[in-house]
Amino acid sequence: MRNRTAIGLVAFVLAAASVLATGASARTQADPLTIYAAASLTEVFKTYDRTQRYSFGASNTLETQIRNGAPADVFASAAPLNTQRLYTAGLVDKPVTFTSNRLVLIVPRSNPAGLQSIYDLRRKPVKLVVAGVAVPVGAYTRTVLRKMGLATVLSKVVSQESDVKAVTGKVALGQGDAGFVYATDARAVSDLVTVIRIPAWAQPRVRYEIAVVSKSSNKTAAQEWIKTLLSAKGQAALREAGFLPLPKASS
Amino acid sequence: MNRRRFLVSTAGVTAAAVAAPWLATARATTDDELAYANFGVSAELLAQDFYARAIEARKFGGRQLQTLRRGRTAAAQHAKALGDLLVGAGQVAPSRDDFEFAFAANAFASGAAIVTTGVAVLRPLLGAYQTASASVVEPSYRVLYASLAVSLGEQIGGCAALSGRIDAEPFPAAVDLEAASAALEGYLG
Repeated sequence: MRNRTAIGLVAFVLAAASVLATGASARTQADPLTIYAAASLTEVFKTYDRTQRYSFGASNTLETQIRNGAPADVFASAAPLNTQRLYTAGLVDKPVTFTSNRLVLIVPRSNPAGLQSIYDLRRKPVKLVVAGVAVPVGAYTRTVLRKMGLATVLSKVVSQESDVKAVTGKVALGQGDAGFVYATDARAVSDLVTVIRIPAWAQPRVRYEIAVVSKSSNKTAAQEWIKTLLSAKGQAALREAGFLPLPKASS
Repeated sequence: MNRRRFLVSTAGVTAAAVAAPWLATARATTDDELAYANFGVSAELLAQDFYARAIEARKFGGRQLQTLRRGRTAAAQHAKALGDLLVGAGQVAPSRDDFEFAFAANAFASGAAIVTTGVAVLRPLLGAYQTASASVVEPSYRVLYASLAVSLGEQIGGCAALSGRIDAEPFPAAVDLEAASAALEGYLG
């Protein structure tokens, strides 16, 4: 009886040790990275790699969260400004450019303001939706308007949104006559909006940067994830989603 | 096109570019002035690319080739002058890396095609410079845009002369930025 009890105890201990070992091993290999990424990367990142944990938002908001100690492993920003500020503060490793984008003007399919060209924003009464100036797409919007000599149309802004998805949503739902978003965001709602091109000469330099967060507890995996994103496979996924290739100066 | 006249006028723009009186303005640059400069730099970079491809196509030699080379130099100097204007106003000037210029597959297939392409690229830019010279506020910018318009007019004449044509439009049409931009959209990518 005593023998049977001892055997049973040993078996239990071995089994428990085995379970614990398996669990620890699984955690090391499959623990998802926490990736803070610009809202415009939502669709492409979720499609590209479903296994990671994402937090999408305006790059300036994510920057603030990382500054305040948010437990991110990777930060992907829609503007170099946000990553570079964190790099200067020692909060992320050296950022790299990984893709680029273009701005477009979107109008609801019904196009209530009758907009055909970006210049119509000056000629017609319009309810314009833009992102706030601290949000990358908001800053890019103002660059476009200034480059085209159309800064006065900012007087027609009826709503300043917290990120590009909010601008896209408002226009798609017809709560605004027009809004400036990335070409990739317009693509995601192409059945609800019409795209008006912005000339190449007025485009801002939209550069996405990515970096490992300095306090990440999984830096090796974070570096590997970024490396894969920069590889042919990662770049193909971005292009498939409508992002532009790495800018020449960065490649 | 009288080649000597073309070279003399290009040299005139070069001298103006060196002096760069438009950089001395103390007044804040208006949105309109910045818009013309932004478009101008971009279109001049396109013109430079056109000339480079036309030279590479080896359809012209001798004096005609020299005309293309002078045109390329003028476009580079124009882009630099307008870029300096933008930088002086605290803006970022467009650069070659910002564009993927696009030309039709047969745009440089023959001398005649090169002439057609060149006029199509240069003509809207001339029209925009004409309008800019009349509409910008800063007097030194007006002089700059007028000089650029003269140079573009002569480049168009030089380009047309490559195929033995003499083009002498009495009143080249001035166009606004929207029309000029639309005309070059396909080339600027």
